[in-house]
Amino acid sequence: MRRTMVFAKRNLIEVYRDPLSWIFCIAFPIVMLIIMSIVNSAIPKEAGNTLFRIDNLAGGIAIFGQMFVMLFTAIAVAKDRNGAFLTRLYSSPMKSGNFVWGYIFPMLLTAVIQACISLAAAVVISLITDYSLNIAGLLLAVVAVIPSALMFSAIGFLFGTFFNEKAAPGICSIVISLGAMVGGIWFDVEGVGGFMYKLGRCLPFLYATKLARSAISMDFGVREFLIPLGVVVLAAGVLTALASIVFDSRMHADQR
Amino acid sequence: MGYAIKTENLIKRYKDKTAVDGLNLSVKEGELIALLGVNGAGKTTTVKMLTCLTKPSGGKAEIMGIDISKDPDGVKRLVGVSPQDTSVAENLTVKENLEFMADIYLPGGKADEAVARAIEAFGLAEFENKKAKLLSGGYKRKLSIAMAIIGEPKVLFLDEPTLGLDVLARRQLWHEIEALKKDMTIVLTTHYMEEAQALADRIVIMNEGCVMAVGTLAELENMTGKKGLEDVFVSIAERME
Repeated sequence: MRRTMVFAKRNLIEVYRDPLSWIFCIAFPIVMLIIMSIVNSAIPKEAGNTLFRIDNLAGGIAIFGQMFVMLFTAIAVAKDRNGAFLTRLYSSPMKSGNFVWGYIFPMLLTAVIQACISLAAAVVISLITDYSLNIAGLLLAVVAVIPSALMFSAIGFLFGTFFNEKAAPGICSIVISLGAMVGGIWFDVEGVGGFMYKLGRCLPFLYATKLARSAISMDFGVREFLIPLGVVVLAAGVLTALASIVFDSRMHADQR
Repeated sequence: MGYAIKTENLIKRYKDKTAVDGLNLSVKEGELIALLGVNGAGKTTTVKMLTCLTKPSGGKAEIMGIDISKDPDGVKRLVGVSPQDTSVAENLTVKENLEFMADIYLPGGKADEAVARAIEAFGLAEFENKKAKLLSGGYKRKLSIAMAIIGEPKVLFLDEPTLGLDVLARRQLWHEIEALKKDMTIVLTTHYMEEAQALADRIVIMNEGCVMAVGTLAELENMTGKKGLEDVFVSIAERME
């Protein structure tokens, strides 16, 4: 545990000292929140479009922000694997579990802090736009996004383990675009239906968005909250286990 | 005094290439040996096997009496490695890099002392709060070696520690390596003749995965009838052809 925390601290410092992390993980989601709120204010009420209303937007943006944490996890792992730094650590008494959780813990923390900042920004916007947000729902959302934070950290870890420093960001960008589309962040996937909705139901992103939005609106229905919660927790568990197995086998393969 | 490193017919094969072919080597505790050879001679592969970074394909090796194949975790607690490429955490300061490595190897109280000692020994005080990525090549190498010794290893492996450094930086690093000799056994890989000549108690000349000659400089000179390591090396290399 000591070695895991030591490695996690190093990774946390590395991420927090990279200005790009601040831009993509914190600034970008907030900017999107502001822009989409402006877009929402321009939509006539008669259109009946509630997707960009701050209560819906806040949950979507919290999940969108976590996708960038996935990107940074992938870059951090791929970069270390590419250089000699991991070689040095492989010759130390660190075990593969120390590496896996040492990468995932700080990213999980980053994702949760990012969700808090996005939700706090949503409160500010709600006050400006005179829309009443449920504060208890927002606090619940901070907890509800933890499984998806783990899920995205694990996906990033997996990509960083599989791909090199050049390929990993590209692959993550594809997942971010796909996840934002089929995850129902920018439009109503259920309303669109067809292949898009079918694909969305097969992937965990839509459930993550739904879970965050349901938590904010304190809607604890089976379809709206419990099923998405189950799917996201299951996906987070499976992907974390898979990431651990893959990293362990890569670590041993490197030593062959 | 016992042996810090002992290998018997150590072999490493990669598909159709034999990188190390039957290495037999004994290194006494407190000795500094230089593995000398051209690129592809098997120096780095030997270091990788002895530090449990790669598994041998055959043969046996022990570090301080511990078998590298049977107890790699035991070996990892006893060795320090400074890899060929500079391996530091770029966004961490010099002090944070040292604290990081110290915390991996040592319990709390001892770690702080070890960091202070390493900063002093390698003259890093002036840069302790500077990010590693902002250091010059020479200071990055110093930091890399300081990180390798911070866990108080019994055996230190320095893989081409002065590669790419200018003459002054190289000389400065030699002094620091020289100072480490009293505390630990050191295995140094290099293809700089003058480096091996200046630092090593014994020199191991390798070629195509095999040991061609082992001995002190005087022994190698006697063996070949040549003066100076460069002429000794050329003589051995010509004999191989």
